[in-house]
Amino acid sequence: MSYELQVNGKKHLVDTDADTPLLYVLRNDLALNGAKFGCGLGQCGACTVMLDGAPVMSCIVPVSVVGARPVRTVEGLGTAAQPGMLQQAFIDEQAAQCGYCIAGMIMRAQALLDRHLAPTDEQIRNHMMPNLCRCGTHMRILRAVRRAADTMGKARRGDRP
Amino acid sequence: MSDAGRGRRRGRTLRWLGWLSLVAALLGILAVAVMWRPALAPIDAAPRFEPGLVERGARVAALGTCAACHTVDPSRPFAGGFPIETPFGTVYSTNITPDKRTGIGGWSLEAFERAMRKGVSRDGHLLYPAFPYNHYARLSQGDVQALYAYFMTRPPLEAPAHANAMRFPFGFRPLVGFWNLLYLDDAPFEADPKQSAEWNRGAYVADALAHCSACHTPRTRLGGPDDKRFFDGGEAEDWYVPALNAKSPSPLPWSREHLAAYLRTGIAPGHAAAGGPMQGVVENLRHGDPADIDALATYIHRYLAQAPARDTPARRPGSLPAPKPDDPDLARMQLGHQVYADACARCHDAGRAESSGTALQLQQAVALYDPDPRSLIHLVRDGIAPPDGEPARWMPGFGAILSDEQTIALAAYLRRYGAGQADWPDLADAVRKGKE
Repeated sequence: MSYELQVNGKKHLVDTDADTPLLYVLRNDLALNGAKFGCGLGQCGACTVMLDGAPVMSCIVPVSVVGARPVRTVEGLGTAAQPGMLQQAFIDEQAAQCGYCIAGMIMRAQALLDRHLAPTDEQIRNHMMPNLCRCGTHMRILRAVRRAADTMGKARRGDRP
Repeated sequence: MSDAGRGRRRGRTLRWLGWLSLVAALLGILAVAVMWRPALAPIDAAPRFEPGLVERGARVAALGTCAACHTVDPSRPFAGGFPIETPFGTVYSTNITPDKRTGIGGWSLEAFERAMRKGVSRDGHLLYPAFPYNHYARLSQGDVQALYAYFMTRPPLEAPAHANAMRFPFGFRPLVGFWNLLYLDDAPFEADPKQSAEWNRGAYVADALAHCSACHTPRTRLGGPDDKRFFDGGEAEDWYVPALNAKSPSPLPWSREHLAAYLRTGIAPGHAAAGGPMQGVVENLRHGDPADIDALATYIHRYLAQAPARDTPARRPGSLPAPKPDDPDLARMQLGHQVYADACARCHDAGRAESSGTALQLQQAVALYDPDPRSLIHLVRDGIAPPDGEPARWMPGFGAILSDEQTIALAAYLRRYGAGQADWPDLADAVRKGKE
């Protein structure tokens, strides 16, 4: 079957089976390797991307249900040379150890920051709950999300950093 | 008119006024008697308890499923704050740790027992019957004492009560007094001499402790148990709660052994795993005395066994079929089948072995046979997640993955081709409403 997907603002035509997980399409067909294969069961969150603005575990999203809804991956937030605000916050807080979970962590956090201008620490914790990190980097991840939320808040208010 | 006539009339008016004020006074006294309860004196320090009594209290509290409502954050047990939505407003569970200021630290045994049996707080205000004191009223004296010992020895936590959000006029608590007149039966539990000791123990656990019928029996318009429809099925937290009698929607008959396993673990062969509010119940029950859970199963099974044997697709599990070409709702059924085949079948088609990671074949999923689609919609959207650190069955939620149209089509398809049941008339509305 042929599917037209809208990923990071660009249209892509992929030819694949209906039950192919979105994760496989992103990595194998579109060479967007940010999202990682972790458990393949929707339990760990390493494959988290945004679908129509909401965080989803792309390993359990069959390509057939995506339709015209926009997909956003970590590659859509910035580049290594020009990281986005949330990515920069993760760099500033050095919020990665092995780094395998981080693309998923960032996309889940981005979905929160898109909807909540000033999330509380409790909102951040609750929102990030489904994504697992085996290295124990949680405190740095939470700090990075906090930092990004504060930076974005300042930018919106027009404060100088 | 003559003087005499005027005088007779005045006399009659006075007599009427007299009667009226007497009736008003009586009504006033009656109203106070119904609605007003005195405060009981606070205590300075909790008494000391035998360790054995505290341990017994822990098991009683597990069977009473206290933590299901009174614990929100597992790191702060019994600190309260759980919102219970009722047709009369949202009631928040309170702090039942022995904190002096915000909990029950100043409560004597007498005050605790009055709250458990009559629904009256220590300071005299009436508790809302979201707290099932109409069940706890039948607790044995020993169990009330054990519960008191258990709660008074928990770590005290400071957690002021969350303000309730009641609809007018239910914010006026004394009105609960009239509910109590109608529904609070505090006669002690009586064993049925025609039944076995185990059945009677189960009846006590089900009624006075686990308060099964609080959710499994429908409620009247006044929010009381509709006892004429005992175990006919009800609702909790917007889930349909299955009937436990002849009306049970379960597509396969329950055996007593499977029911006992389900109540202990949330899992039984051929039946759906416990989800929604029942998950919290099982989390509590598994800390109860296993003999009590067996008794509970014996008692409930007596009712469940009234369900007639039915020939349902659950007896023939396997892959779900494609829609028939002449299906009057073909486009929707095809979409539903596509979603099932691509998103669900990976786990659900393979079938569940005793220890496998795969899932129940959907012909056996009770949610497909429920009289309304609410539980199925919750399961599809939110999945089943065990509490932190607890081993249990697990399913990811598809709420953000499926569009409303896909969810409606999936539910309609599963209902028709999974369960072979007539359409849910209110399906589309339920899907849209469930999102709010």
